[in-house]
Amino acid sequence: MKDLIRVRSLISAEVEMLLNQQVKKEAYSSSIYLSMASWCNRNGFDYSSDYFFKQAEEERQHQLKFYKYILDMGGNAVSPEVTGIKQEYNSFREVFEEALDQEISVTQSIKNIYARCLKEQDFVTNEFLNWFLKEQREEEYKARRALELFEVIGEEGTGRWQIDKHVGDIKYNSEA
Amino acid sequence: MVTTLIDPQTSTWVDVFSTKQGAVYQSDAERCWYVDFAGKVAKFDYRCLLKLKKAVYNVDIEAKLLETSKDPDVEIIFICACDHTYILTLMQIIALKELMEGTFVMLQLNSILQDRLYRIAV
Repeated sequence: MKDLIRVRSLISAEVEMLLNQQVKKEAYSSSIYLSMASWCNRNGFDYSSDYFFKQAEEERQHQLKFYKYILDMGGNAVSPEVTGIKQEYNSFREVFEEALDQEISVTQSIKNIYARCLKEQDFVTNEFLNWFLKEQREEEYKARRALELFEVIGEEGTGRWQIDKHVGDIKYNSEA
Repeated sequence: MVTTLIDPQTSTWVDVFSTKQGAVYQSDAERCWYVDFAGKVAKFDYRCLLKLKKAVYNVDIEAKLLETSKDPDVEIIFICACDHTYILTLMQIIALKELMEGTFVMLQLNSILQDRLYRIAV
Protein backbone atom coordinates (compact mmCIF):
# COMPACT_ATOMS: atom_id res chain seq x y z
CA MET A 1 0.00 0.00 0.00
CA LYS A 2 1.39 3.36 -1.04
CA ASP A 3 1.90 6.01 1.60
CA LEU A 4 -0.54 8.51 0.04
CA ILE A 5 -0.38 11.00 2.87
CA ARG A 6 3.40 11.25 2.61
CA VAL A 7 3.03 11.90 -1.11
CA ARG A 8 0.91 14.95 -0.38
CA SER A 9 2.67 16.37 2.63
CA LEU A 10 6.20 16.32 3.98
CA ILE A 11 5.18 17.16 7.52
CA SER A 12 3.07 14.96 9.77
CA ALA A 13 -0.35 16.06 11.01
CA GLU A 14 1.09 16.56 14.49
CA VAL A 15 3.94 18.80 13.30
CA GLU A 16 1.52 20.70 11.09
CA MET A 17 -0.69 21.38 14.09
CA LEU A 18 2.28 22.56 16.17
CA LEU A 19 3.47 24.83 13.37
CA ASN A 20 -0.01 26.31 13.06
CA GLN A 21 -0.01 26.98 16.80
CA GLN A 22 3.31 28.74 16.32
CA VAL A 23 1.80 30.88 13.55
CA LYS A 24 -0.83 31.94 16.05
CA LYS A 25 1.78 32.61 18.71
CA GLU A 26 3.82 34.81 16.39
CA ALA A 27 0.68 36.70 15.36
CA TYR A 28 -0.15 37.21 19.02
CA SER A 29 3.41 38.46 19.68
CA SER A 30 3.14 40.90 16.82
CA SER A 31 -0.16 42.27 18.16
CA ILE A 32 1.11 42.53 21.71
CA TYR A 33 4.16 44.49 20.52
CA LEU A 34 1.87 46.79 18.59
CA SER A 35 -0.12 47.42 21.75
CA MET A 36 3.14 48.10 23.65
CA ALA A 37 4.16 50.57 20.94
CA SER A 38 0.87 52.36 21.41
CA TRP A 39 1.23 52.49 25.21
CA CYS A 40 4.80 53.81 25.00
CA ASN A 41 3.82 56.42 22.46
CA ARG A 42 0.87 57.60 24.55
CA ASN A 43 3.10 57.94 27.59
CA GLY A 44 5.86 59.88 25.90
CA PHE A 45 8.37 57.09 25.37
CA ASP A 46 8.77 57.63 21.65
CA TYR A 47 12.03 55.74 21.16
CA SER A 48 10.63 52.68 22.89
CA SER A 49 7.51 53.03 20.80
CA ASP A 50 9.60 52.86 17.61
CA TYR A 51 11.47 49.86 19.03
CA PHE A 52 8.19 48.00 19.59
CA PHE A 53 6.89 48.93 16.14
CA LYS A 54 10.00 47.28 14.72
CA GLN A 55 9.53 44.23 16.93
CA ALA A 56 5.89 43.93 15.83
CA GLU A 57 6.99 43.93 12.20
CA GLU A 58 9.65 41.29 12.89
CA GLU A 59 7.15 38.99 14.59
CA ARG A 60 4.84 39.39 11.62
CA GLN A 61 7.68 38.27 9.34
CA HIS A 62 8.27 35.23 11.57
CA GLN A 63 4.59 34.40 11.36
CA LEU A 64 4.71 34.51 7.55
CA LYS A 65 7.84 32.35 7.51
CA PHE A 66 6.03 29.59 9.41
CA TYR A 67 2.90 30.09 7.36
CA LYS A 68 4.68 29.72 4.03
CA TYR A 69 6.71 26.78 5.26
CA ILE A 70 3.53 24.86 6.15
CA LEU A 71 2.09 25.57 2.71
CA ASP A 72 5.32 24.72 0.89
CA MET A 73 5.47 21.37 2.66
CA GLY A 74 1.94 20.52 1.52
CA GLY A 75 0.21 21.31 4.77
CA ASN A 76 -2.79 23.43 5.58
CA ALA A 77 -1.81 26.83 7.00
CA VAL A 78 -4.52 28.33 9.16
CA SER A 79 -4.90 32.08 9.40
CA PRO A 80 -5.08 32.66 13.15
CA GLU A 81 -7.59 34.50 15.26
CA VAL A 82 -5.85 36.83 17.69
CA THR A 83 -7.76 37.98 20.75
CA GLY A 84 -7.14 39.13 24.29
CA ILE A 85 -4.44 41.70 23.63
CA LYS A 86 -3.53 43.64 26.75
CA GLN A 87 -3.84 47.38 26.07
CA GLU A 88 -2.85 48.99 29.37
CA TYR A 89 0.31 48.67 31.44
CA ASN A 90 0.98 49.81 34.97
CA SER A 91 4.49 51.08 34.37
CA PHE A 92 7.19 51.61 31.75
CA ARG A 93 9.17 48.77 33.30
CA GLU A 94 6.21 46.37 33.17
CA VAL A 95 6.10 46.74 29.39
CA PHE A 96 9.65 45.42 29.07
CA GLU A 97 9.10 42.70 31.63
CA GLU A 98 6.18 41.41 29.60
CA ALA A 99 8.15 41.69 26.37
CA LEU A 100 10.80 39.39 27.85
CA ASP A 101 8.14 36.95 29.09
CA GLN A 102 6.69 36.86 25.61
CA GLU A 103 10.06 36.08 24.03
CA ILE A 104 10.76 33.34 26.57
CA SER A 105 7.44 31.71 25.83
CA VAL A 106 8.18 31.83 22.08
CA THR A 107 11.57 30.18 22.64
CA GLN A 108 9.97 27.46 24.76
CA SER A 109 7.36 26.82 22.13
CA ILE A 110 9.95 26.51 19.35
CA LYS A 111 11.96 24.12 21.52
CA ASN A 112 8.81 22.07 21.91
CA ILE A 113 8.32 21.78 18.13
CA TYR A 114 12.00 20.95 17.72
CA ALA A 115 11.69 18.13 20.26
CA ARG A 116 8.67 16.72 18.47
CA CYS A 117 10.48 16.84 15.11
CA LEU A 118 13.48 15.05 16.58
CA LYS A 119 11.18 12.35 17.88
CA GLU A 120 9.63 11.93 14.44
CA GLN A 121 13.01 12.28 12.76
CA ASP A 122 11.62 15.17 10.76
CA PHE A 123 15.05 16.63 10.08
CA VAL A 124 13.74 18.90 7.36
CA THR A 125 11.62 20.85 9.83
CA ASN A 126 14.45 20.80 12.35
CA GLU A 127 16.68 22.47 9.81
CA PHE A 128 13.97 25.06 9.15
CA LEU A 129 13.65 25.73 12.88
CA ASN A 130 17.39 26.31 13.31
CA TRP A 131 16.97 29.83 11.96
CA PHE A 132 14.34 30.59 14.61
CA LEU A 133 16.47 29.21 17.42
CA LYS A 134 19.24 31.58 16.43
CA GLU A 135 16.75 34.42 16.09
CA GLN A 136 15.46 33.77 19.61
CA ARG A 137 18.98 34.28 21.00
CA GLU A 138 18.85 37.79 19.64
CA GLU A 139 15.26 38.44 20.71
CA GLU A 140 15.81 37.29 24.27
CA TYR A 141 19.11 39.15 24.49
CA LYS A 142 17.46 42.41 23.40
CA ALA A 143 14.55 42.05 25.80
CA ARG A 144 16.88 41.18 28.67
CA ARG A 145 19.22 44.05 27.86
CA ALA A 146 16.31 46.51 27.89
CA LEU A 147 15.42 45.39 31.40
CA GLU A 148 19.06 45.71 32.40
CA LEU A 149 18.91 49.39 31.48
CA PHE A 150 16.35 49.85 34.24
CA GLU A 151 18.92 48.44 36.69
CA VAL A 152 21.99 50.33 35.51
CA ILE A 153 20.38 53.68 34.77
CA GLY A 154 17.69 53.63 37.44
CA GLU A 155 14.22 55.13 37.10
CA GLU A 156 14.76 58.11 39.39
CA GLY A 157 14.97 61.66 38.08
CA THR A 158 15.43 61.67 34.33
CA GLY A 159 16.15 57.92 34.43
CA ARG A 160 13.16 56.82 32.39
CA TRP A 161 13.93 59.42 29.74
CA GLN A 162 17.51 58.08 29.52
CA ILE A 163 16.30 54.48 29.35
CA ASP A 164 13.88 55.39 26.56
CA LYS A 165 16.69 57.06 24.60
CA HIS A 166 18.92 54.00 24.86
CA VAL A 167 16.35 51.30 24.07
CA GLY A 168 16.63 51.98 20.35
CA ASP A 169 20.39 51.44 20.43
CA ILE A 170 20.21 47.89 21.74
CA LYS A 171 21.91 45.61 19.27
CA TYR A 172 22.95 42.00 19.25
CA ASN A 173 25.96 41.35 17.08
CA SER A 174 27.48 38.19 18.37
CA GLU A 175 29.58 36.26 15.90
CA ALA A 176 29.01 33.03 17.77
CA MET B 1 -19.33 9.55 -6.86
CA VAL B 2 -21.24 6.78 -5.17
CA THR B 3 -20.51 3.22 -6.16
CA THR B 4 -21.55 -0.14 -4.85
CA LEU B 5 -19.18 -2.57 -3.25
CA ILE B 6 -19.71 -5.23 -5.91
CA ASP B 7 -17.84 -3.00 -8.31
CA PRO B 8 -15.15 -5.07 -10.14
CA GLN B 9 -12.34 -2.60 -9.42
CA THR B 10 -12.57 -3.37 -5.72
CA SER B 11 -9.96 -6.05 -6.32
CA THR B 12 -7.31 -3.34 -6.57
CA TRP B 13 -8.41 -1.69 -3.37
CA VAL B 14 -6.41 -2.33 -0.25
CA ASP B 15 -8.10 -2.68 3.10
CA VAL B 16 -7.05 0.07 5.42
CA PHE B 17 -9.35 -0.53 8.32
CA SER B 18 -12.75 -2.02 8.91
CA THR B 19 -15.25 -2.41 11.68
CA LYS B 20 -18.63 -4.13 11.78
CA GLN B 21 -20.27 -0.92 10.64
CA GLY B 22 -17.99 0.11 7.81
CA ALA B 23 -14.66 0.00 6.08
CA VAL B 24 -12.06 2.18 4.42
CA TYR B 25 -10.14 1.06 1.35
CA GLN B 26 -7.23 2.68 -0.39
CA SER B 27 -6.78 2.82 -4.14
CA ASP B 28 -3.13 3.34 -5.01
CA ALA B 29 -3.92 3.83 -8.69
CA GLU B 30 -6.45 6.57 -8.09
CA ARG B 31 -4.60 7.99 -5.09
CA CYS B 32 -7.72 8.10 -3.02
CA TRP B 33 -9.72 6.29 -0.39
CA TYR B 34 -13.16 4.69 -0.51
CA VAL B 35 -15.22 4.94 2.62
CA ASP B 36 -17.91 2.28 2.88
CA PHE B 37 -20.29 3.58 5.49
CA ALA B 38 -23.99 4.16 6.07
CA GLY B 39 -25.01 2.24 2.96
CA LYS B 40 -22.78 3.96 0.44
CA VAL B 41 -19.25 3.79 -0.81
CA ALA B 42 -17.86 7.26 -1.23
CA LYS B 43 -14.60 8.36 -2.79
CA PHE B 44 -12.39 10.76 -0.84
CA ASP B 45 -9.12 12.36 -1.84
CA TYR B 46 -6.49 13.39 0.68
CA ARG B 47 -7.93 16.81 1.47
CA CYS B 48 -11.48 15.56 1.80
CA LEU B 49 -10.54 12.61 3.97
CA LEU B 50 -8.83 14.99 6.38
CA LYS B 51 -11.89 17.22 6.35
CA LEU B 52 -14.15 14.24 7.03
CA LYS B 53 -11.99 13.26 9.97
CA LYS B 54 -12.07 16.78 11.33
CA ALA B 55 -15.83 17.05 10.90
CA VAL B 56 -16.43 13.77 12.71
CA TYR B 57 -14.01 14.57 15.52
CA ASN B 58 -15.65 17.94 16.02
CA VAL B 59 -18.99 16.41 16.98
CA ASP B 60 -19.27 16.64 20.75
CA ILE B 61 -20.61 13.16 21.40
CA GLU B 62 -20.76 13.57 25.16
CA ALA B 63 -22.83 16.75 24.89
CA LYS B 64 -25.19 15.02 22.46
CA LEU B 65 -25.65 12.09 24.83
CA LEU B 66 -26.49 14.36 27.72
CA GLU B 67 -28.87 16.49 25.69
CA THR B 68 -32.44 16.00 26.85
CA SER B 69 -34.27 18.02 24.20
CA LYS B 70 -36.71 16.27 21.93
CA ASP B 71 -34.91 17.22 18.74
CA PRO B 72 -34.29 14.33 16.41
CA ASP B 73 -31.04 12.54 17.11
CA VAL B 74 -29.54 13.41 13.75
CA GLU B 75 -26.22 14.95 12.82
CA ILE B 76 -25.32 16.27 9.41
CA ILE B 77 -21.71 15.81 8.41
CA PHE B 78 -21.19 18.30 5.64
CA ILE B 79 -17.78 18.68 4.13
CA CYS B 80 -16.91 21.84 2.29
CA ALA B 81 -15.83 21.36 -1.36
CA CYS B 82 -16.58 17.66 -1.23
CA ASP B 83 -19.32 15.72 -2.99
CA HIS B 84 -20.53 13.83 0.03
CA THR B 85 -22.75 14.57 2.95
CA TYR B 86 -23.63 12.19 5.72
CA ILE B 87 -26.81 12.37 7.72
CA LEU B 88 -26.19 10.17 10.69
CA THR B 89 -27.64 9.20 14.02
CA LEU B 90 -25.51 9.51 17.12
CA MET B 91 -24.75 5.76 17.11
CA GLN B 92 -23.53 6.08 13.54
CA ILE B 93 -21.38 9.07 14.45
CA ILE B 94 -19.71 7.00 17.15
CA ALA B 95 -19.17 4.19 14.65
CA LEU B 96 -17.78 6.59 12.02
CA LYS B 97 -15.44 8.12 14.57
CA GLU B 98 -14.15 4.67 15.46
CA LEU B 99 -13.65 3.97 11.77
CA MET B 100 -11.76 7.23 11.24
CA GLU B 101 -9.57 6.71 14.29
CA GLY B 102 -8.63 3.23 13.14
CA THR B 103 -8.05 4.39 9.59
CA PHE B 104 -5.66 7.14 10.59
CA VAL B 105 -3.75 4.89 12.95
CA MET B 106 -3.31 2.42 10.09
CA LEU B 107 -2.25 5.14 7.66
CA GLN B 108 0.26 6.41 10.17
CA LEU B 109 1.55 2.89 10.76
CA ASN B 110 1.91 2.51 7.01
CA SER B 111 3.88 5.77 6.94
CA ILE B 112 6.21 4.54 9.67
CA LEU B 113 6.73 1.21 7.92
CA GLN B 114 7.39 2.85 4.56
CA ASP B 115 9.80 5.26 6.18
CA ARG B 116 11.73 2.53 7.96
CA LEU B 117 11.79 0.19 4.97
CA TYR B 118 12.61 2.55 2.16
CA ARG B 119 14.50 5.42 3.69
CA ILE B 120 17.83 3.66 3.60
CA ALA B 121 19.03 4.09 0.05
CA VAL B 122 19.92 0.79 -1.51
